[in-house]
Amino acid sequence: MTRFGRLGQLTRLNFRRDRFRILTWLIILAALMASVAWKFEDIYGTQSEIAAIKSTLASPGIVAMFGAFSFKGKVTTAEIFANEMLLFMGLIQVVMNLALSVHATRGDEDLGITELVRSHAVGTLAPLGAAALELVIVNGLLGMLYSIGLTAANMPGATTEGNWLIGIGLATTGLLFGLLGLLTAQLADHSASATGLAYTLFGISYLARMITDVQHPKLTWWSPMGWVEKLAPYNAANWTPVWLSLLTGLILLNLAFFLNDRRDLGAGAITTRPGRRTASALLRGPISLLWRRERNVIIAWILAVIIFGIAYGTVFNTIGDILKTNPTMQQVFGSTMVHEANHQVLLSFTSLLAIVMAAVATIPGIQLILKLHTDETRGWLEALYARPLSRTTLLFSHVGMAFITSTLAYIGGLGGIVVMGDASLTHVQDGISATEFWHGVAAQLPEIWVFLALSTLLVGCWPRLKTLSWAYLALGFIGVYMGSLLKLPDWVKQLTPAGWMPRVPLHDMNWTTFSWMTGLAIGLVVIGWIGYRRRDLQMR
Amino acid sequence: MTINPVLEINHLQKKFGHLQALKDITFTVQPGEVFGFIGPNGAGKSTTIRILLGIIRASGGHAQIFGQDVWSDSVAIHQRLAYVPGDVYLWPNLTGGEIIDLLLKLNGSAHTVKTDDLIQRFGLDPTKKARTYSKGNRQKVALIAAFSQDADFYIFDEPTSGLDPLNERIFQEAVLDLKQHGKAVLLSSHILSEVERMCDRIGIIREGQIIETGSLAEMRHLTRTMVTVTLGDNFDVTDLTGVHEVTAGQHPNEWQFAVEDKELSQVMTTLAQHQVEALQSTPPTLEDLFMHYYTGKE
Repeated sequence: MTRFGRLGQLTRLNFRRDRFRILTWLIILAALMASVAWKFEDIYGTQSEIAAIKSTLASPGIVAMFGAFSFKGKVTTAEIFANEMLLFMGLIQVVMNLALSVHATRGDEDLGITELVRSHAVGTLAPLGAAALELVIVNGLLGMLYSIGLTAANMPGATTEGNWLIGIGLATTGLLFGLLGLLTAQLADHSASATGLAYTLFGISYLARMITDVQHPKLTWWSPMGWVEKLAPYNAANWTPVWLSLLTGLILLNLAFFLNDRRDLGAGAITTRPGRRTASALLRGPISLLWRRERNVIIAWILAVIIFGIAYGTVFNTIGDILKTNPTMQQVFGSTMVHEANHQVLLSFTSLLAIVMAAVATIPGIQLILKLHTDETRGWLEALYARPLSRTTLLFSHVGMAFITSTLAYIGGLGGIVVMGDASLTHVQDGISATEFWHGVAAQLPEIWVFLALSTLLVGCWPRLKTLSWAYLALGFIGVYMGSLLKLPDWVKQLTPAGWMPRVPLHDMNWTTFSWMTGLAIGLVVIGWIGYRRRDLQMR
Repeated sequence: MTINPVLEINHLQKKFGHLQALKDITFTVQPGEVFGFIGPNGAGKSTTIRILLGIIRASGGHAQIFGQDVWSDSVAIHQRLAYVPGDVYLWPNLTGGEIIDLLLKLNGSAHTVKTDDLIQRFGLDPTKKARTYSKGNRQKVALIAAFSQDADFYIFDEPTSGLDPLNERIFQEAVLDLKQHGKAVLLSSHILSEVERMCDRIGIIREGQIIETGSLAEMRHLTRTMVTVTLGDNFDVTDLTGVHEVTAGQHPNEWQFAVEDKELSQVMTTLAQHQVEALQSTPPTLEDLFMHYYTGKE
């Protein structure tokens, strides 16, 4: 029996196990890419529309989020499309790959499935090989769907080479991070730790590309996440990133095989250390238990959001100085007008980032609330529930911690932007004032609260539908984040709480909206609470 | 003076959609009593226990612990109750020691000398993260937390399925100790020797119904004795009342059959008239008893 014996059978088994998640990812991503491409000529068809968006895309704020791309000569619809979509789709594809790869390796090992498989006549490296093959096939299929979709959409300026370069380029980027997930799965000794490690590396790579994009786009070559920007599919098609991704991926895969071969099943280089013999005096109830279990995740989220905020803040002095791009403006308008204009640019930039921060800050909160149901199905709640603890206490320890975490993360993120941004300016008065900052905070918090309250409602009343929380958040995020670039109709933005409040601090704060959204959040939580007290818990 | 039962269940029912999981459950558990709750897999043991814990709500009937309703007064009841589930799931990134202490604190009690003693007797390493524990070790964590708690009613749902015989014995000693202190215990188990050794009374559940309650001795009377007899003449035993599964033996005039206990003396009287040359009788084993009830066969 070779070391890869029964690789084919295991791969088929993987596809059977993951068929629903793979199918969901493929359909959603391919449909997203194809439908945007299909609609794109309507959005940016004429030369004047292209010229208008071209200067927007060149502004540092957009560069920080969508990547730096260079335009030469006459810019086509397809080029604008590549600029807006490549990095965004790349990010989603990385998330998909990290989820699939850790799930297929360390996840199975944690569940004891790998042990069962390995006890049969399969090669020692076959389970890892099957996971790698699964990633290759999924990414390859998705890349092909992209290319076919783009060819069918036939945007003005699109080329056959460019269409295929986008498909293959995104596939290899996704695959690269998937293989990274396979490697971290060998290093860590359980799946949560492997996922955390992979996301840390992914985050570093993303931050590196953001900072280099704003300052020295050439240096972006050092970040694998930045390679996808270098494809330039429709103006100067460049296949180097594809080869780079494949080569790096191959190295990572070989490292993973090397480690897999030398370690015991269930073990990892980063081991779980023994802990306390007795509980500390602080660990005494459901809230401290939740904090003890989730503190690493909570602290990591809040820190990550603050770091992202600070990183975005560093570009304030580049964006907030119109004189850099228009040196003659001061003579024409006078310095007061110039400062006012700088201030407007920063307000608009901050308002745009507030959307991103609010969406990101909502994620750990939703996770904490949904965990109440995950714990229920995993049987962890059974030990707690047999104690003199009411359901009210249990529910509100999760919900309370979720609201606090998301609120703090958002304030921290926006604070990071504003504090770092203002500090980087030569004229502090151009920056965001304290009042504007707090209005920015107050404007987004009800949105975060409504999203969290909705998750509470689902967990309390219809726990099977809890995944809808993520879909709704994603819809809200795409609606407002991509909405203006894709010129989505207003009602799409109005579908979720993310679109109910005017963009603050660019616009004035609307306290009426603030009040009724907060009221709605409270109402949803109360209904969820009543439901949670009445329903059967679904223990195994 | 009548003593109030610790647990009182009356015609308890539970429906999951169209599935009638519990049809009719009625039994009581008295202070100082170990009650064995047994039945085949899927009969409704765990569903009953979950209703008792207030995790799921009964669709009919009543259940009271300490005279309080199990759904609406669950928090007050849990103050004086200890529970060990059959499949113990623990928070993976906490150590066993931390979990034991936390569970105790949640009941307002604390880590005592007794806790340390139990940790040592069960041979648990409390510094390891729960993620790394085997099934047996996870059960030990739950058992140690339950035994170090000073409760009045203990519920164990197949608590020893992952334990080795040594630890199983420690468990049994601990339960008998609870009994001596006048505590009530509800023990759901498949291990017959455990049930035989510890339980004062037994309730057998099948397909969502309690089909028998009583002491082991009482139940034995409801079953049959196996008899092997060699007679001096060619009398045919097949037609006797209360005799079943008759087979002819290897020798002439030798018979093997099962007799219902209530007909035993009548059958013996009849046989005695036919010159009994040899007679062997075997009381029903526990296995026979359970097979009888579990399969529901005559």
